[in-house]
Amino acid sequence: MSETRFQTMKDLPSCHLLGTGTALCAGCGGLEALHEIYDILGEKTVVVNAAGCMTLLAVYPFTPFRGSWLYTAMASAPAGAQGVRDALDILLAKGRLTAEEDLQTVVLTGDGAAYGMGLSATSGAIERGLDFLYLCYDNEGYGNTGQQYSGATPHGARTATSKGPCGYPGYKKDLFAIWAAHRPAYVATVVGAEPLDLARKIEQAKNRQGPRLILSLAPCPTGWDFDPSETAQIGRLAVQTGVWPLKEYRDGQVVHTKVPQKRLPVEDYLKRQGRFAHLFQPQRNEALLQEIQARIDAYWDNLQS
Amino acid sequence: MYRIRFHGRGGQGMKTASRILGTAFFNEGFEVQDAPRYGAERRGAPIFAYVRAARRAIYERGVIRHPDLVIVADETLVAMPAAAVLQGVDAHCVVLIHSREPAPVWQHRLNLAGPVVILPLAEEREDRLALRQIGTACAAAAARLVGVVAWTALEQALRDELAALGDALVEANLGPARRVYDFLSPQQGCVAPGPVVAAEGYVRPDWVELAFEDARVSAPAIHAALTSEQVQTGQWRTLRPVIDCARCKGCWWVCSTFCPDGAIQVDESGRPRIDYAHCKGCMVCAAQCPHHAIEAIPEQDAPPAEDERGAK
Repeated sequence: MSETRFQTMKDLPSCHLLGTGTALCAGCGGLEALHEIYDILGEKTVVVNAAGCMTLLAVYPFTPFRGSWLYTAMASAPAGAQGVRDALDILLAKGRLTAEEDLQTVVLTGDGAAYGMGLSATSGAIERGLDFLYLCYDNEGYGNTGQQYSGATPHGARTATSKGPCGYPGYKKDLFAIWAAHRPAYVATVVGAEPLDLARKIEQAKNRQGPRLILSLAPCPTGWDFDPSETAQIGRLAVQTGVWPLKEYRDGQVVHTKVPQKRLPVEDYLKRQGRFAHLFQPQRNEALLQEIQARIDAYWDNLQS
Repeated sequence: MYRIRFHGRGGQGMKTASRILGTAFFNEGFEVQDAPRYGAERRGAPIFAYVRAARRAIYERGVIRHPDLVIVADETLVAMPAAAVLQGVDAHCVVLIHSREPAPVWQHRLNLAGPVVILPLAEEREDRLALRQIGTACAAAAARLVGVVAWTALEQALRDELAALGDALVEANLGPARRVYDFLSPQQGCVAPGPVVAAEGYVRPDWVELAFEDARVSAPAIHAALTSEQVQTGQWRTLRPVIDCARCKGCWWVCSTFCPDGAIQVDESGRPRIDYAHCKGCMVCAAQCPHHAIEAIPEQDAPPAEDERGAK
């Protein structure tokens, strides 16, 4: 990536634009990613926020943003973004806004909205070629209401609605592929624990036009049941075990931006989280552990062939 | 009617305590309400839950403003205005504090007219959020102090409410609950039920009347940036990260990048500075610092942070 201004860690911002004092949980992996993203996106943004954990960012009369924030129902953030973008375009056309004053329209949603409730509105917005950036903080469940399963919940995880000995029976949807199938301007996965990779991708996304997705894994101490101090470690393990492939789709191609040379066993990631404790206690669920490992191996093997 | 308010931090089990106590009252044939305050409060933040119990139908709703018993699971909350521990506490109300200091100290410090009962700290932990079984101990204490809940009713409630967490956890909680229940037997029945409030005796709060204004004026729009910094989330903290300047190498500001709240800023010389007014004490910085230059110290033993009062 020679074109990036983020060559080394030293190039990362040392001053932060997002305000403190929000009511998000201590150790929130979504907030970790959001503040890294906001540093690079900058304050010339309108954030359209679907209901979710990040609802708590702006509890009246408080906001951590430097620019505008608009709150919508869970499924309708892309529709809200369309309205905002149209309004900005009209103001530009009438000369009431200069090109320098134009703002980025940013949708901010959790996985509940991005993978489920809001998917139809999102697909429609991509279809219309809406010029917006879609940020999803994926904590693999409806975290703000007590971690019920969502379309992003991984196989075998315990959630408030999947408490059996084998956890959630379904499989995590591939939102990256769903977006890429629409042939949008840009799609990328990131995680707050890999800030340099994240910075380069936000830089890419920022400089493109059209529908763009930034999908961030958001390790969640509350919903995944681990100590808040481990947020960054768990995020890094998700990459090192191959659970969370860091990749981007641009110009019709999918490129993996950080391929773990020697993947750690997925157990290293699972056993640190209470939501997977039933795979190890009271006895090891060998079959399920092997199935989870096999799916990860298959993903990376397919990539090489 | 008994009105009991539990105060603790998110993660200490106050919601569970209120459920256990409510179910125990129910097992004794009472009509019961139990609920946590619903809000945005998270791990470490001040939380309260409440229980109403009466022999007749309960028509009161909402938060308890005039409690008969206040239970304080974490003594550091008393000094915090946002926790409102002392709201409505009068000579009739019993205050139970989980503390290492004796009752006369609290009585004097808070100038309380009513009785103070101390639940001594069973064990000392650096991080008070790591103290297990505080919630059940508080439920057991409340059951004993009201004096109308037998151990059998409490034990059954505890088993029912914790059943989903597994047998081992139920057993781990029964012991401490029984010890607290026995320990407070001299104070059995020291909490007296308050009178039932009737509609005719209702005193209207001192409302501030607001004019009905145009939607553009009265709509909840925020016209300033970064107003969230007025919220002092530093109060959530039970552990405080402290940077050892001698060991800090001024790296590529790992701590500042990973801090989820953006509560670590880097000055011109490349040194990080923690904003204690907002740091929630998650300790991601301490876990990530490559030179192990950030130490965690228990908040209750720490001196007041220099910038604890002012926003950055």
